[in-house]
Amino acid sequence: MSQPKEIFVKTDRCMGCRSCINACAVEHSVSKSLFGAIAENPRPKSRLYVEWVSPDNKVPLVCRHCEDAPCMYACISGAIRRDADGVVRTDTDKCIGCWTCVMVCPYGVIGRHLEEHKAVRCDRCPDRDVPACVNACPTGALVYQTVPAYSGAVRQHASRELLKAEGG
Amino acid sequence: MNQQQSQYVIVGGSAAGMAAAHAIREKDPRGKITVLSAEPDAPYFRPLIPFLVAGKKTPAEMAMTGCGPYTGKNIVIQTRARVASVDTTACCVVMEDGTRHGYKKILFATGSRPYVPPDIEGTDAEGVFALRTLVDAREMAARRERTTHAVMLGGGLLNLKAAFALLEKGVRVTLVVYSPEVLSQLMEPEDATLIRRALDKAGLSIMTGVAATGIIADASGVTAVALDNGDTLACQMVCIGKGVRPNVEFLAGSDVAVDGGIVADRYTGASLPDTYTAGDVAVTYEPVTGAPIMTALWTNAVEMGRCAGLNMAGVKTVYTGTFGILNATQVADEPFVSMGVVHTTGKDCEIYQKATSSTFRKLVFDANGTRLIGAVLVGDITNAGLYRYVIREKMDVARFKRPLIDHTLHYGHFMR
Repeated sequence: MSQPKEIFVKTDRCMGCRSCINACAVEHSVSKSLFGAIAENPRPKSRLYVEWVSPDNKVPLVCRHCEDAPCMYACISGAIRRDADGVVRTDTDKCIGCWTCVMVCPYGVIGRHLEEHKAVRCDRCPDRDVPACVNACPTGALVYQTVPAYSGAVRQHASRELLKAEGG
Repeated sequence: MNQQQSQYVIVGGSAAGMAAAHAIREKDPRGKITVLSAEPDAPYFRPLIPFLVAGKKTPAEMAMTGCGPYTGKNIVIQTRARVASVDTTACCVVMEDGTRHGYKKILFATGSRPYVPPDIEGTDAEGVFALRTLVDAREMAARRERTTHAVMLGGGLLNLKAAFALLEKGVRVTLVVYSPEVLSQLMEPEDATLIRRALDKAGLSIMTGVAATGIIADASGVTAVALDNGDTLACQMVCIGKGVRPNVEFLAGSDVAVDGGIVADRYTGASLPDTYTAGDVAVTYEPVTGAPIMTALWTNAVEMGRCAGLNMAGVKTVYTGTFGILNATQVADEPFVSMGVVHTTGKDCEIYQKATSSTFRKLVFDANGTRLIGAVLVGDITNAGLYRYVIREKMDVARFKRPLIDHTLHYGHFMR
């Protein structure tokens, strides 16, 4: 079986344009269109975040679907499980909005849908081949790839840089 | 002699026991795992039982097996299986009916039970509850039908949850709290101002600084509660939420070390080889101070149970201890998180507080101001997990103290 793809973040490429945030909110709207999404009430929520760190770094943050996911074990209602494809999912029917997952997530990437009183997180866009955020990113800061393919690309890049430094 | 045998015997079928069973199954696909639960119901998510009282969930909707991470196969669960004693020499437990169950490795995860203060008279009357099990919840739901006024003794989270379950069903509820304010275990009285206001607004009657002295009953069950201020509150139901005590009695006469609860080492081991303990019944340690601690929290029990399961399956795993206080929830539409050291009166520590009309936060640092040791967030609990992480990892906060205090902290601050 092929390895599942994950969303990787290249922080040095992020310009902070927030296209990913818009695309995520639209994908998780009822209408699935930008103009429709804006008119919806409650307003659809993005499941990823772009933060800013001094002096001027932008950091896209999205659920890592951790191998040892603290949220899944901490959940007091059994609402969080891991799918066969490795995605950690919150079952909104079972979620009681106690926010225990919010309290244990070390990345701060589980959001609260206040109107629906449910925890929300990245679901890797089950209806799409490529997650909406990755598709929307104009700079390639978000990459949807398997671990071996991504780490291979990183190694290749590093080798090229090394050769360049050695004057090759 | 009638004796069953399992590679792994787990005494207790709630958070710690079930987490352990599934962790074992992840590492050992074949070893026989038997969970012995004293309760008549198959394992369920205990924190959900107030929903049964409110009529919002059925027991089937609370079952653990197959939900969340509890998807391991071939785990034998025996209900109504109460362990009377343990023979650590023969490596077997003795059930109440005299049958024996042998083990190679055993986990004591017997949990805790409600503490019913002996100085309150008449607590055995019908209609007096200490909400702990599905059985309690069913009885409470049945009694609710003929209850117009319920009195809750104790201002902790469990009683607040139960109170709201009853309020939703149109029952009038009075909370009698001995402490100066509700949730006194989770925050100082002045820190609970917003929550208190929300509770009052939601229609809960709260009396503070008052204790119950006795419960008055007739043939129909409870009819009133007598208070130490001379008042008597007429009611048809009483719910006692005065904390819990560990279930250790079955170890009387065994060599397993008990000091309040069952003493655990850093690898969740009890004092004898091949014996382990986890959950409410275990004495573990507080990561900031290293002091021995017992907690009664679902999340802690699962984490420790999982750790014990891994150790039992031969994957040596250190348990990193737990905060005594580690709560997140929402009462009366007011979300809050309380964790680590939050009671600061008379303590040498650095405190930052900020209160607005809809939020409150209190951040507690050590005396040098270099490490975060506790946090209370009310109204806005965004990124609470990062605060827990900073406390637990004892991070030097110098690089991000300002955003931490301003509640603008995010993971990006950790990355450089």
